[in-house]
Amino acid sequence: MLKLFKLLGNKRLFVILIALVMFIALMGFTLGPRATLSWPEKFLRDTVGFAQNIFYKPAGYVAGLFKDIGNMRETYKENEKLKVALAQYTREKANYNFMEEENKSLKESLHFTKAQMEKFDYSYHIAQVISVNSDTVNRSLVIDLGERDGVKVGQSVISIKGLVGVISHVSNFTSTVKLITTMDAKDPNSNGIAATSMNNHQTFGIIESYDDATQMLLMTQIKQTDPIKKDDMIVSLGDTDKYPRGLIIGKVKSVQESKFGKTKTATIEPEAEFQDWKQLFVVFTPEVQQ
Amino acid sequence: MMVRKQVLVLLLFLLFIIEGTIIPWLLPVSWQNVIMPNLVFIVLLFVSVYHHRHTALVLGIIFGMLHDVVFYGEMIGTYSLVMGFSTYIMGFIFRAPRAPMPLMMTVVILGSLLFDSMLFAIYRVFSLTQVSYDWNLLHHILPDLVVHFVFGLIIYVPLRKQLEKIARREKKEKAA
Repeated sequence: MLKLFKLLGNKRLFVILIALVMFIALMGFTLGPRATLSWPEKFLRDTVGFAQNIFYKPAGYVAGLFKDIGNMRETYKENEKLKVALAQYTREKANYNFMEEENKSLKESLHFTKAQMEKFDYSYHIAQVISVNSDTVNRSLVIDLGERDGVKVGQSVISIKGLVGVISHVSNFTSTVKLITTMDAKDPNSNGIAATSMNNHQTFGIIESYDDATQMLLMTQIKQTDPIKKDDMIVSLGDTDKYPRGLIIGKVKSVQESKFGKTKTATIEPEAEFQDWKQLFVVFTPEVQQ
Repeated sequence: MMVRKQVLVLLLFLLFIIEGTIIPWLLPVSWQNVIMPNLVFIVLLFVSVYHHRHTALVLGIIFGMLHDVVFYGEMIGTYSLVMGFSTYIMGFIFRAPRAPMPLMMTVVILGSLLFDSMLFAIYRVFSLTQVSYDWNLLHHILPDLVVHFVFGLIIYVPLRKQLEKIARREKKEKAA
């Protein structure tokens, strides 16, 4: 025992031990969900965010320029395709307008409350990515919308192609986006996404983990009788408050029996590309009166 | 002349900013999700060997904390702990202010391995990742090592010169 005390008498060792304990305590404390950040954190994030803002955009432009030159040849083909898509879109738009009007009048005649009617009126706010954390486990982005713009923790962030992540922390002028590639069933902070197929709403499953090795999302708890099949487009169902309805997640790559045999599991290839970040959209859901 | 030291810290901050903003654009697309270059850490390894490990420890904790707070995804403190600890340990083992280039490159390699492994260990302990160490070693740590090594080679000559100038000044001040 005396020897142990002597060893602890060594000041350096003592300091190292204390520091280690403090760090582990800090990590444990910050791991759980936190409502708001303290002001030193906010200050630091906003200051650094300002500096990053200056660098990221020009770098993106220069890199984008080279890429654009590379893509010049594909432009013609792409243009052709877009024209076809646009024509189809205009045709469907007319149809859509009729349906929406009908829907609205039906809702009115059924005496929907205001909150119920506006439940799916999402607005999309454009955000500029200002820096990227390349840490492969704890992947996050910083965007230039913050508390001042009304961003809240838990809002979904999408790119043009599909769901990208969730706002994890907000400071005054910037906020951090946690990518869906960090989703993990064992992680206390991440929430599963209730998902369905775009064309067949019979499908139901929960996406709650991402496989780093194959770069696929896993959709679990699908019933045996489920009509899910390969190449189905999977979108969020929006039953919970966490994720809005109809965000595109990805395409089904394969469907197999789950480990326990009662349900099926689908691997889903994320639609969003997790690289070359430029503009993203934060999805604002209408305020729910408590 | 303490200005040189302050300029060094300022350059470190600039490097930190560049790491998050410009480096992702420079990497080839297929590498963007593979490597996580931590250039500030490599510079701190140089500081630790050629200057003093305590300076590197303090700078490591500060810049690690900066990284943690700015990219706050899961928790605060991982980078701070890992950067401070591994720069200190590397400086502690290789106490050679006149280390030649091969030795310094060994420090960079070992330091990079230690850094990424420790980071992975912490994430694993808090069960933020489920992949095995072998897989991580092959897919993230080794590619990382290559990038760190190349960066170490690039900055070796200018950085060592500056650090030695600082050391010489300090010696002179002590003598006076």
